[in-house]
Amino acid sequence: MKRLAVLAALYGCGSTQAAEAGDLVRFVACPVYRDTDSGKKSGCWLGDDRDTGMRWDVSQSPYKPDWNYAMLVEGRPSTDAAKPCGAPTLDPVRTSRLDTPCVQHMIPAEGFTGRKFVLPRRNIAPLSVTRPVPAGPYAERVFPVYFEFDKDFLVYQYDDWLVDNAVTWIRAAKPKRLIVTGFAATEPQVVSGVTLAERPEVAGERAEAIAETLRRLLPGIVMDVRSEPSAQPTDDAEADGLPWQSQRRVEIRALF
Amino acid sequence: MQLLPQRSLPLALGALVLALSVGARGGDTPDRWWAPGEGRVLPAVLDYDNANGTLRTLVVGGPLKTKGHPFFEPLGPNGRACVTCHQPADAMSLSVASAQRQWERTGGKDPLFAAIDGSNCPTLPQQKRESHSLLLERGLFRIERPWPVRSFNGKPVTPDFTIEVVRDPNGCNSGVYGPAAGRISVYRRPRPVANMKYLLAVGFPYDPKQGYALPLDPDDGKPQSGNLMADNRAGNLRLQMEDAGSSHLGMLKRLTPAQRKRLQDFELRVFTAMQVSKAGGAVDSGGAKAGPARLRDSAPGALGSIGEPVWSEFKGWESIPPEEAARLTPEQLAFRQSVARGAKVFRDKTFLITDTAGINSRIGFGNPVRNSCVFCHNMSQMGNDVAPGQVDLGTTTLPFADPWADLPLFKVTCTGRPHPHYGRVIYTYDPGFALTSGKCADVGKITLQSMRGLSARAPYFSNGLAKDLRGVVDYYERRYSIGYTEQEKQDLVNLMSVL
Repeated sequence: MKRLAVLAALYGCGSTQAAEAGDLVRFVACPVYRDTDSGKKSGCWLGDDRDTGMRWDVSQSPYKPDWNYAMLVEGRPSTDAAKPCGAPTLDPVRTSRLDTPCVQHMIPAEGFTGRKFVLPRRNIAPLSVTRPVPAGPYAERVFPVYFEFDKDFLVYQYDDWLVDNAVTWIRAAKPKRLIVTGFAATEPQVVSGVTLAERPEVAGERAEAIAETLRRLLPGIVMDVRSEPSAQPTDDAEADGLPWQSQRRVEIRALF
Repeated sequence: MQLLPQRSLPLALGALVLALSVGARGGDTPDRWWAPGEGRVLPAVLDYDNANGTLRTLVVGGPLKTKGHPFFEPLGPNGRACVTCHQPADAMSLSVASAQRQWERTGGKDPLFAAIDGSNCPTLPQQKRESHSLLLERGLFRIERPWPVRSFNGKPVTPDFTIEVVRDPNGCNSGVYGPAAGRISVYRRPRPVANMKYLLAVGFPYDPKQGYALPLDPDDGKPQSGNLMADNRAGNLRLQMEDAGSSHLGMLKRLTPAQRKRLQDFELRVFTAMQVSKAGGAVDSGGAKAGPARLRDSAPGALGSIGEPVWSEFKGWESIPPEEAARLTPEQLAFRQSVARGAKVFRDKTFLITDTAGINSRIGFGNPVRNSCVFCHNMSQMGNDVAPGQVDLGTTTLPFADPWADLPLFKVTCTGRPHPHYGRVIYTYDPGFALTSGKCADVGKITLQSMRGLSARAPYFSNGLAKDLRGVVDYYERRYSIGYTEQEKQDLVNLMSVL
């Protein structure tokens, strides 16, 4: 809770206050699937913040919910007032699947269109497309990769893009070695009445997941794999200004 | 124990019709069955009729003299060659009709029915037809997997699940077989050895279903496609050949480098697809651009959603000009229009995909997610998955799988995290990819099937649950409550019949 209070002070209001554009919102809820049909991947994900009574559109998360399990929602209200899913939108937003079972709940479109799928900015090109060589000069640099709450899984069209950019740079820069450090947000925080803390061992699991991917993409590279069972928020742009997301990371540090 | 399901009569009649069709081609025509060691010449272009039309197989750089060629010669003591289970007339796989025909012609003496895997279990009396019922009724071969799990490169894996045998109708998961003896028997259809450049193609550097970069080929260090085998146990052709040589062929020695080179060279040169539809005519006519030559000449590995849409080969049949329509019979015209509609249904008819590992977990598309057939069948020209295609459709795992009293049933208990959809305890006929990865989350995942030459190689799915193309559509309808209209179902069947 102390950590949450600190974060709230650092990054704006928590979910218990009226959320306006730019405020941070964080809650736990069972996901609601609204079956809109504007083509592929156009269904809507909604979540109700029990503390405020607000229903939010959380569909813009890179990692979508599973209707069988509760989700941790973290985001900011969008500056776009449109409600294609019938609720104000959190964007940026992250949803993480928790282990708490939920009753499946699907509601009809009720006239809402949902969103036609648009390829996200963070998508990688096929291997047949040559990656541009990043410009030098090259010096020590850190590449973060981000995760769901308490998970070590490489998030599609988010982490693969981050890793791809890192690997393209590393191939060009040819550092002497890499230090891969996994972090975990282990300090307990109460969200929607639920105490949440990442397992300390997820820091190591994340580091090893990224290290294995790097071994495959950069065969023979010298690599130290480490873990830190605690994490401070960062202001890295690819965490989209979400402090909790920035904590759940692996850092790939290239050393010369 | 039911060893002779009631479906045997219609299937036998089908085989008879097929045999008559072959006979009608002329007494001097070589038999459609390629037996090991015949020494025939494999032509550069080889056509075989089936119920839906004509399948064409192309051998780039052919013809090929098969005498002494390791694909066509018996390499082990059981008399089998690769061609035994990868027949040109069957799109380089094996149809149940061909298996039945060989049983009738040879009284069950053909090497196809070798005890090691062409029978339900080697411990059964091999002279009896019912001992081979899984092959004769559903085209299934016994596949023996080690327990505890070994990954594709032979590396031991500590599984995060235990496995028990609930039911063993064939005796091949108890006694000297089964998990306790380190030998798990599952039963699967042979996959086509053709159009291989597509199955080996790598589109992107990551496996989004597993959350890692693609594993590297132990031989050349390049990323592996993960699309060769049902359980992804062999990541490259060498490993696949060695696996097949030691198991299906019963080889006592390893393949020599020269044999491997010839096998690989051949497998990369074979392309097969339907060339002529009985109902619609040539599939590369009237504006359509399908057929094996297109497969041979196209670049593999392209994602249909950002390039050439999947099955757009039939776009020319969407709106057939009046002058072209006038040259067709009403039935031909209607069939071509149906195929074109089927291609659009395949691409555009969306439905909710639910509780399917490899799609709804762990990749992050959400559960459910609305999409169409091309969500997974996404590679241009082939319809396999550009990413490694391990997905659990439920075809082998309860409660989604159809009931099969003649298949073994396993109880899998997850010892780590529960399976994202089935929970901690899973009942399955075939754990699939989990027998390679050792992960409970992969139970029931089977690599997507190749979609070419389907008319030549019924039945379908890894355990042969769909006896015909309509059965494929019906399974998906049951599994996902798609709401296909009767017309859409027929359009999909017609589409698949011409691939």
